[in-house]
Amino acid sequence: MRVPKRTRRWIVVAGLAGWLSSCATPPPPTQPDALAEFQAVNDPAEPFNRAMYAVNTKLDTYVIRPAAVAYTDVLPDGVRHVVHNILGNLRSPVKLGNDMLQGKPQRAGDTLMRFVINTTVGGLGAFDVAKNLGYPDHDTDFGVTLATWGVGSGPYLFLPVLGPGSPRDSSGRIVNIAADPLGRFGQGIAVTALNWSRFTLDLIDARSEYLGTFQQIKRTALDPYATFRSLYRQHRDAQVSETRADNQRTVPAWFPAPAATSSQSPAPAR
Amino acid sequence: MLLRRTILASTGGLALTAACLLAGLSPAQAQSSEQASAFVQALGAKLTGIINGPGSTEQKSAALTGIIDADVDVSGVARFVLGRFWGRATPQQQSEYEALFRKVLIASITSKIGDYEGVRFTIGRTTSRPEGEVVSSTIVGPKKPSAGVDWVVNQVNGSPKIVDVVAEGTSLRLTQRADYGSFLAQHQENVQALLDALRRQASANG
Repeated sequence: MRVPKRTRRWIVVAGLAGWLSSCATPPPPTQPDALAEFQAVNDPAEPFNRAMYAVNTKLDTYVIRPAAVAYTDVLPDGVRHVVHNILGNLRSPVKLGNDMLQGKPQRAGDTLMRFVINTTVGGLGAFDVAKNLGYPDHDTDFGVTLATWGVGSGPYLFLPVLGPGSPRDSSGRIVNIAADPLGRFGQGIAVTALNWSRFTLDLIDARSEYLGTFQQIKRTALDPYATFRSLYRQHRDAQVSETRADNQRTVPAWFPAPAATSSQSPAPAR
Repeated sequence: MLLRRTILASTGGLALTAACLLAGLSPAQAQSSEQASAFVQALGAKLTGIINGPGSTEQKSAALTGIIDADVDVSGVARFVLGRFWGRATPQQQSEYEALFRKVLIASITSKIGDYEGVRFTIGRTTSRPEGEVVSSTIVGPKKPSAGVDWVVNQVNGSPKIVDVVAEGTSLRLTQRADYGSFLAQHQENVQALLDALRRQASANG
């Protein structure tokens, strides 16, 4: 996952220049409803984002989607499910870190127990044994962590391969990748190749889950770019409020409820 | 026996009142929550009955269309989706838009019948929110992971109707409003351009 420093710097400079030079013009104050809509959409870099969306659509049409289609065609459901579980399990250490940074000990406990149980009994994460033992899965990342710390999402930002995001969420994803302890074991070509394979497989696995959905959106939306933007924003907001609201106690299904409280609250609803 | 039943009923009533007070709800609101929940429960049973039942795809489509017309506030949703552009459309454009919106909505729902065969539906709790009574449910497809779907119910002309469906935190009417709004912004806010696009979409779907 190493990109030479100079190249990285150029990517950042080119990206910033492109982003700044292509700002959308807000409607004049004489049209208050149009101005309110412009502010609610919060996509001042729309021309740049649309250009990146177009690049990503090309990339998706010719590379990512065919790879995902081939992946679903070649491998049976069961095998893909196992791969999906293993990839999810590999994300656990970073997830645990985020749960803790969000101040959600219950969720952190779930993640830790899931990682321990699924890595051992679940055969290196191939089978989700922990779910049936009362440790449900949840999705989180450093963008959500920043949100729980009060960082606003900021304007919309679309990047090729990374997809929809915002300054908060896109940098959160980069922190997520950089902070992964599994990416730091050993060095050399084999390790780099393994990390890239995992990144690629992650991408293909994620894309294969949405083959039908994306096709449907592209077919039915009049402006797919805006539809994806709206869906992404709503989904992120829902994820953040779900995380904020999740303050339940972690009591596994098999743990006997304390006698004193059992008469009032039979079993914690999860 | 009668005494026992009376006691049970009155304790039940007290418990309900207490629950309402605790939740900060008036009994009327609780009643409308219950009504909304029952409405969605019945709707879910009808939908899964049709989708998983016998009959050709055409018969199923026809049955689903009947349900959409009866239980969904289609014209209310259509107006919401057009947002600030509704007032700018001529009465003729408004009625044409409503008809096209209904056609596109029905086509998009009925085209997915095949994907949902074997679907199961479980109802969850109901919450009162400014947009209406929100009834949550879990939908489990044969090949898909379970999805949380919220049904927003409002009283329209005295009967409960679905005004929005929120799938995994994403509202269908908000998403569609963003789509149409952006399309109009790209087309000089010309409602006629939207109508033409919808007409093309409606005829492409058959």
